[in-house]
Amino acid sequence: MDLDELKHQLRNKLATDHAGMSDADIAALLTKKTDSVIGRIKRNLRIEIICSIAVILGFGAVGIFSGYSSLRIYFSVFAVVCIFFLILLIYLLRRTTRLSSTALPVRGNLQTIVHIIEEFTKRYFQFTMALVPICFVFSLWLGLSEKQQDAGGNGFDFRHYIVRWQAVSLLVAYMAALGVGVYFFTKWYLKKQFGRYVGLLKECIKELGE
Amino acid sequence: MPSEKEFITLLNQHQKIVHKVCNLYMDRHSDREDLFQEVTLQAWKAYGNFRGDAKFSTWLYRVALNTAITFFRKEKRQPDIYSTDNVPEQSEEEQGPVEEQVKAMYAAIGELSKIDKAIVMLYLEDYSYNEIGDMMGITANNVAVKMNRIKTKLKESTQQQMAN
Repeated sequence: MDLDELKHQLRNKLATDHAGMSDADIAALLTKKTDSVIGRIKRNLRIEIICSIAVILGFGAVGIFSGYSSLRIYFSVFAVVCIFFLILLIYLLRRTTRLSSTALPVRGNLQTIVHIIEEFTKRYFQFTMALVPICFVFSLWLGLSEKQQDAGGNGFDFRHYIVRWQAVSLLVAYMAALGVGVYFFTKWYLKKQFGRYVGLLKECIKELGE
Repeated sequence: MPSEKEFITLLNQHQKIVHKVCNLYMDRHSDREDLFQEVTLQAWKAYGNFRGDAKFSTWLYRVALNTAITFFRKEKRQPDIYSTDNVPEQSEEEQGPVEEQVKAMYAAIGELSKIDKAIVMLYLEDYSYNEIGDMMGITANNVAVKMNRIKTKLKESTQQQMAN
């Protein structure tokens, strides 16, 4: 006996192996939170949008009102970078919302989800890595420059600070180690969050294409 | 703005579709309930864009299958395979050869991949290869090739189960 012959019985078995839901049960389900990955991405994006707005406002305020020029430059640059990130987050949220409100064919749906996750992780990674030079090199340069000006000098003179080469070497090594650490931690974090899931979805896409 | 009441009524009338998908994709009762909830939520979110070009049942199948295929439990304590434990127990006198074969076939379907399960589900519902292709986003020819492979797999798997 094959699938065709068993069609009717199988259909009945699949349809009857459950307890029926009332209108009230279904209405109650509509108030619950979604547990899908797309739902989680949307929640993450919303939280990051709120955080980005807070950072832009806070850093922007420091950038405008601080009495130190180095702080003004440093926080303004941070705020500008966050504005670009905010635009990207809003774009991704809109795409994700559009996806969850349309019923695409299975293959198209899978491809869109994979594209959104890959775009999100790629930009997240780029943003995190872009912050490393800003945080270290930029802040170091501005800090030194400010110190020089406070001491009554005419701007930043790098030679003045290479007196103790051991200290500079240590600082460079620390920055490099932290930069590498951030690089691998971000890679690991994103892979842990979405890596396995994207892999499974890609397998499904590949299977559909075979 | 879509009417919640209208949606609930429609979903209630077609809830068998969602139950079928949940039974096919999830092994444990709690996972089925979670998937049912997820499909209901996804269907409600997408309902605003349902224009009635297709039948509600066809649209609901698409939403339910999309949700089931992309639904992965984070903490997976056991593989997502279908065990014969899902089938209600019957006494030996009650369990005829047909029932046994249904049970074996049911278990064999549970061992298929998520994509193959979706194709079998739609095939069992008497959708044509063209319609299945539209829902899956592949050609009717591709559906036919896959269906042949699935039938062979199921036949072998069922025979093996019956022999054990």
